Amino acid sequence: MSDWLGRLAQLPQQWFESPIAAITLTLGAYFIGIRLFKLMRRPSWCPPMLIAAIMIAVIIALLPIGVDDYNRGASWLMLLLGPATVALAVPLYQQLPQIRALWKPILMTLPLSATLAACYAVIIAAVMGAPENVLASLAPKSVTSPIALSLAEELGGSRALLMGALLTTGVTAIFGVEWLSRILQIRDPRLIGLALGINGHALGTVRAFEINSVAGAFASLGMSLTGAFTAVVLPLVWHLFY
Amino acid sequence: MGRCRPEPHDAFGMMLVFQRSEISAMSVLRGFLWLLVFLMLGQALVRLFHIPMPSGVIGMLLLTLWFGYRGGMNADVVRISQPLIAMLALLIMPGVVEIFFVADQFADQWTAILTALIVGTLLSVLSSLLLMRRYLPQSTAESDLRSADHE
Repeated sequence: MSDWLGRLAQLPQQWFESPIAAITLTLGAYFIGIRLFKLMRRPSWCPPMLIAAIMIAVIIALLPIGVDDYNRGASWLMLLLGPATVALAVPLYQQLPQIRALWKPILMTLPLSATLAACYAVIIAAVMGAPENVLASLAPKSVTSPIALSLAEELGGSRALLMGALLTTGVTAIFGVEWLSRILQIRDPRLIGLALGINGHALGTVRAFEINSVAGAFASLGMSLTGAFTAVVLPLVWHLFY
Repeated sequence: MGRCRPEPHDAFGMMLVFQRSEISAMSVLRGFLWLLVFLMLGQALVRLFHIPMPSGVIGMLLLTLWFGYRGGMNADVVRISQPLIAMLALLIMPGVVEIFFVADQFADQWTAILTALIVGTLLSVLSSLLLMRRYLPQSTAESDLRSADHE
């Protein structure tokens, strides 16, 4: 009997020797997270991804395994981020007519907005005395996750901190756009969409699609252009300073 | 009549269903192959020319250029890209999990980090809204509304 209990106690450790357990846990938590999100009436401050991540963290803390055991398996899922980044070419290409029609105002506003989105955070953190690896994790905070992850890696930032930064930024940007556009009396869905996409990456884009399809299209335009622009410019500028 | 999908209770219908799913599975795999080839092209360019950019981004730009050159998108790539992009939230979740375990590593920096993120994001939202209101041509409905406001 005690022999059997001993084997039971070893089971979690053995499960996580192969990536299967980590992938199962991630997928399961993802679907439960979506269901809880709907039950909570879709709060904008708490995306389903956060609910699922908290659940996984609690399970890892309860089981006799470390976060490294989980990460080893989950990295198999994250391997798909590479092809998923390439797949962003499809929405980018779909937005080309919009870009062509509005290229002048976009050229005037988007590069500056995308640069400011990174600069404000980096400057505030630098002034408050954050070290280089923290700055490198904050700089890509407004960029869509697959691009941001490889950027943080390129600059030498922390992956975990960047993920937290992405989440905080997305939630703050949604709140900020809704609050400030009301104060500034901006009702143009194109403008609200662009602001959501530039500042709030995928989380903001999802929110924009909830407003209407015009806002959604402009948000994905803003998101893909900010991603592409920041991916090109940020490493070049960064290596000038560090 | 009016039924577009064969019921799978007869052998022939079953075969049709299988054939159809086989076709779409093949299409998804072909699309995936396209994405992987462009990802590898991106990796090759990054290595060969020391480009300080993520190889996935180079692959994305190359694929967009390729679509532009061909004058349209490859249907297989479109089919695989939709589920892949929808999966993005799932793919980055393991990274979010990690933050709970490395939190104490950044313990003395949380105020700097949170201030930078929240104040920085609000400032950048404000400046992008102001910039775009200045330069984006107003749609007619919006400008009507605006002139009505001024009266």
